[in-house]
Amino acid sequence: MWTVMLKEIKELLRDRKTLFFMVALPILVFPLIIGLVMFMAGKAVDKAENKVLDYAVVGAQYAPALVEELAASELFNQVAIDDGADVTAFVKSEQADFVLVIPENFSDDALASGQIELSLYLNDAGLNMVHRRLDKIVDTFADASQQKAFATLGLDESQQAALVEPIVITKVNVADKRENWGEKIGGMFPYLIFMLCLQGAMIPATDLGAGEKERGTLETLLISPIERHKLVLGKFFTIALAGATSALITVSSIAIWGLVLGQSMALEVVSEFMSAINPIDFVLMFLMLVPIVAIFSAVLLSLSIYARSFKEAQGYMTPLVFVVIVPVVLAMLPGVELKGGWAWVPLTNVALAIKELIKGTMDYFQLFAIFSSTAVIAGALLYFCVFWFNKEKVLFR
Amino acid sequence: MIEISKLAKKFTVENPKKLSEQEKKDPRLKGKFFHSVQDVSFYCESGEVLGLLGPNGAGKTTTLRMLSTALTPDSGEIVINGTNVVKKPVVARQMIGFLSGSTGLYGRLTGRENIAYFGQLHGMSADKIEHKIEELADILDMRTFLDRRCENFSTGMKQKTAIARAVVHEPKVVILDEPTTGLDIMAAQTVLDFIRRLKDQGVPVIFSTHHLDEVAELCDRVTVIHHGRTHFADSFEQFKAQVPGSLHQSFMHVINQGV
Repeated sequence: MWTVMLKEIKELLRDRKTLFFMVALPILVFPLIIGLVMFMAGKAVDKAENKVLDYAVVGAQYAPALVEELAASELFNQVAIDDGADVTAFVKSEQADFVLVIPENFSDDALASGQIELSLYLNDAGLNMVHRRLDKIVDTFADASQQKAFATLGLDESQQAALVEPIVITKVNVADKRENWGEKIGGMFPYLIFMLCLQGAMIPATDLGAGEKERGTLETLLISPIERHKLVLGKFFTIALAGATSALITVSSIAIWGLVLGQSMALEVVSEFMSAINPIDFVLMFLMLVPIVAIFSAVLLSLSIYARSFKEAQGYMTPLVFVVIVPVVLAMLPGVELKGGWAWVPLTNVALAIKELIKGTMDYFQLFAIFSSTAVIAGALLYFCVFWFNKEKVLFR
Repeated sequence: MIEISKLAKKFTVENPKKLSEQEKKDPRLKGKFFHSVQDVSFYCESGEVLGLLGPNGAGKTTTLRMLSTALTPDSGEIVINGTNVVKKPVVARQMIGFLSGSTGLYGRLTGRENIAYFGQLHGMSADKIEHKIEELADILDMRTFLDRRCENFSTGMKQKTAIARAVVHEPKVVILDEPTTGLDIMAAQTVLDFIRRLKDQGVPVIFSTHHLDEVAELCDRVTVIHHGRTHFADSFEQFKAQVPGSLHQSFMHVINQGV
């Protein structure tokens, strides 16, 4: 068995294509892509913030002070609009980025005018900063009007606050920071790891099963005096190791890049969060992944040995990605918790447990259900794999 | 000594619509099963070379695959030096050296590693493997490419490596499925020389071929199978005597003769 495994690993390590997908991709390419996307997004926001916007005002005569303030802003550029023109059409034809319509009742005396409603016409589909910039200017007028009204009514500060918001609900969150963050990112984490394990195991699995058939080495291997189950186990462990390594490399890469990037942003949050999860939890996460990787490897090897060629094997394996997504997405649904029945659902239970471990709210008794259900399934699949490797119909298709 | 008697093997036809016209007319197709090998018997003594002849699709490869334990026969017996191959396949594998026509090598391993891997699977010690590879490298003239990766080998180099791999464990019987097909004259000659060497060492060799001149050059015994049945199994002299003067005519005569 070890002979088979060592040879398979040696062969894998010499395969540049596999190594590229397993090592280079997660370490360099993914962070590079993510970095590039972030850079481009930052640029787009920057551009939107600094862009000088064309605008027009209808009813300017009702609020000369406001209009003057708008005209004074460097980020706005006023264009003319005819009286009685169709405002919607004006904006749609891109003659201005936005049009502000000021009503007749605009005044600085809120008590006399009642609520004033400004209409802002704009194309809100894309990224824009119109509302935010306009708010800044309009708010000063609104505040002034409010203060004036308060003064007229002769209200003290507490009355003022009560008038603005008569009843306030103050939220006291008993969840600590870790639980809070864990809930948010804990769902994504297993999803990522599962996919990476599967992806990392897929290429070697194709090579070790269908590849042997395609290159014509399978027959010679089958007639060597090694028992079939040892042959299967050798291949199985190679695939599992590749899947786990690939996932481990990717996760470490994410962690390291996260720290590097975090240095410039919010390092404390990241490191505080990471240190809150104790080492035993990390070990548990890894241990739970072992049967998961075993399940993936057994299924992939069975599919691969059934296939006649690389191409056929890839065709069988691609749908597997969707099969794996379902139980993981189930774990992300609100209300699905690591209790009762859900603790026995394979893949879902491990996804839930990883989330719980990250949150720090793990019910350790559930580990029994998780390990037994996952291990039983992994064992059964492995048994099937050995059975499959003994079928002439599968080997000599 | 290897003895095969009344070997039979049938395959399930998954999709009868996919069969070619020729396959549909084949008398071996019975309902859902294709009886690839129906009744094949022959034997080969130590130091003898047996040539297995037959048209394409006669059941040669299936027969040799059963001999090599890759396939399990539905009925019949294979006995090598008193060991029943069907009942004890793992023991029998130690005694068999098999090389198929479509065999490949692990491209990312060197020639030496390819051979050593199978030596290890046969449970040989590192020393013994090393020693055997040196010996085979001299016999097969493999020195120049032994430590290069197989992916860039020529067909001849590949075939030499495959032969070395098949006999690294010093088998008691060597089975070769069309070993010279697709090789140039030089490489084919290396293979034939190697078969002769095995013969001199007293190792029985069974090989299938379409080249009657190879049979004339090497074989002591000839077995002709057609439609999965043995049509002829006797000495080369007897085969030659079927139609004096032409081996091709002898072959055609045996095929047309019926069982």
